[in-house]
Amino acid sequence: MRGNSNNARPTIFVVDDDAAVRDALKLLLRSVGQAVETFGSAQEFLEAYSEDRPGCLVLDIRMPGMSGLELQQKLNEKHSILPIIFITGHGDVPMAVEAMQAGAVDFIQKPFRDQDLIDRINQALEKDSANRAALGERNDIRKRLETLTPREREVLDLVVHGKANKVIAGDLKLSQRTVEIHRARVMEKMQASSLAHLVRMVLEVGQA
Amino acid sequence: MTLLRVAEPQEERAHRLEREFQAVLDAAVDAVVLFDHEGRIELLNHAGERMFGYNEQEVIGLKVHILLPEPYRSQHEDYLRHYIEIGEPRIIGIGRELLAKRRDGSQFYAELAVGRVQGTDPPRFVGFIRDVTIRRNAEEALRRSEAQLTIAQEIANLGNYVVHYDGQTEDYWSPHLYRVLGRRFGEPYVGVYDYLAPLVHSADRARWQQAREDLAAGARSIDIEYRILHPDGSLRYVHHIAQTTLNAEGRVLRQVGTIHDITDRRRAEDEARQMQDRIAHFGRISTMGEMAAGIAHEVNQPLTAIATYAQACQRLIASEEYSHEDIAEALEQISAQALRAGEVIRRLRTFVKNREVKRELIEANRLLEDVLTLAQTDARHHGVHISLETAAEAPQVQADAVQIQQVILNLIRNSIDAMQDVPEPQREIVLRTQVDAEGDVEFMVADRGVGLDPAVAAELFNPFFTTKPGGTGLGLSISRSIIRAHGGKLWCDANPGGGARFFFTLPAITASGSPQ
Repeated sequence: MRGNSNNARPTIFVVDDDAAVRDALKLLLRSVGQAVETFGSAQEFLEAYSEDRPGCLVLDIRMPGMSGLELQQKLNEKHSILPIIFITGHGDVPMAVEAMQAGAVDFIQKPFRDQDLIDRINQALEKDSANRAALGERNDIRKRLETLTPREREVLDLVVHGKANKVIAGDLKLSQRTVEIHRARVMEKMQASSLAHLVRMVLEVGQA
Repeated sequence: MTLLRVAEPQEERAHRLEREFQAVLDAAVDAVVLFDHEGRIELLNHAGERMFGYNEQEVIGLKVHILLPEPYRSQHEDYLRHYIEIGEPRIIGIGRELLAKRRDGSQFYAELAVGRVQGTDPPRFVGFIRDVTIRRNAEEALRRSEAQLTIAQEIANLGNYVVHYDGQTEDYWSPHLYRVLGRRFGEPYVGVYDYLAPLVHSADRARWQQAREDLAAGARSIDIEYRILHPDGSLRYVHHIAQTTLNAEGRVLRQVGTIHDITDRRRAEDEARQMQDRIAHFGRISTMGEMAAGIAHEVNQPLTAIATYAQACQRLIASEEYSHEDIAEALEQISAQALRAGEVIRRLRTFVKNREVKRELIEANRLLEDVLTLAQTDARHHGVHISLETAAEAPQVQADAVQIQQVILNLIRNSIDAMQDVPEPQREIVLRTQVDAEGDVEFMVADRGVGLDPAVAAELFNPFFTTKPGGTGLGLSISRSIIRAHGGKLWCDANPGGGARFFFTLPAITASGSPQ
């Protein structure tokens, strides 16, 4: 991750092989003040997109070359969190179901009412923003964890498991005083305001 | 027999005559029997001995009627008596056919002639008997073969005739020809062309008249199908073949012809043709079904663009922060997309409609281009790229555009299916038109698919043959009959470098509109 991505302006990425549909979507989304980038194929989008750009993806499910579903799979492999709204034609419901199971936020059938699309896009952007905030926080926690010494890490693990200083001292064959010093260092480095806060942060990044 | 000899003594002459008479009798092929007024045999020659199995000595003095079985035996006695009492020559001198009886009791057909020996009183008679078994058998065989021919003609519903031009021999109509042409057997003879002339269907008359004149002008043969109004009121199809035989000087000796009532066959053909039309329609519909999803998508795309442009315009106008250019461009797009949707629907409707075959002058390249718009969606969804190579000469063909497009679509559809298992970058179809060596327009649909197994290739054009699950097996057979109906041919070969190529030709039309 580079820069402070959470504050960047979100972009609607439109991927559709049909130039007219693409162009119309661009005009519509611009008319509601959104930043829009359009792509004629999944490949084109993959090459241009970088993970740190917030927004959402409006993706045609049926396309020559790489289909919408294949693009979704590629993004999943890269642990992308960009929310995807699929646009589908008639009879594409089974594909849409598959897309939803693979984590798409929504799908919308062509032709669609502009408000429906805009509402879905707004929901997706909110979700993206929340995801990115959470992701940002987790990254901060991980960075803080990385600053701990091995000994401090051992103390942290035992603290999070609810052990008292005396027990920790016994387990690690340290004096109780030394454990207290380590524990204070951990609280400081992790920027924890309380023991509960410390436990929540460790659970957040799944390292408990 | 009168033998003239000069200065021969009376007795010597009598002896010589006796010897000569005996020699004639011995040499005769026919049996000769001499008998008296009471029917007593006086002489039987060698041929008679062989014919009846008797020795002459055995029969001398026996009644001649032993040579006949009943009822001829009694009849013969009556005749003889009658002749002698009244002098009426009932059988005398007249050949008649009857059954004769051999010594062993077996019988045979014989021709009998009896004459009175001149100047004898009481009269003596000489009988000549000829074995006609062979002739009778031949006649019987001929009769049987004629009967069989008549039966065969009845079964085939075919009649034949012979017209003679020598001015002597009588013309001939086979018994079944009377039936075929609606006359009763034995009705007065009429020349076959004079008889047919008023019956020939008006639409076929010019052609028929031409054939008749060709024959009269010395054509060796004609072979023509036409309709006649049968005297029973029905319309019949006949197939008429005639051949003339010429003499050494080239004059027509005779003409032999057959007239075959093919009404039933024609009806069956008509039904088969109707069936094929129905199958062709069905084929179009099922091709349609396969493409329905793609077509729906094809219509949905412009509709989506239209709706989205229009909604964007509304928002732009409401926001009061818009440029006229944006609005104008969006409106232009809306109209273009509406036309695009209309065009798809128009193509779809002409394609599905079950309609009369309509041939029109059309550019071969346009046929391909029009099909491409229909096929493109389907191809795209299967990751297939289609490229077009059109003939620079822009040749024209006389064709039913919808049918030809159906053929091309069907070939493209097959090519798409054949490429499902090859890597996507290889999935390419080339559509090509070019003018071939004969000046005909050759269409090609080439793919890079799995290609054709030789065993499959042999059966490819058979109806109901299919390699696809759920396929009808009708596509290629219908396609081939469509192309044949247009006077072209459809074939396939292996694509050098992998895949299959399908070709068909249509006769080219010159710019003036006449076939080359």
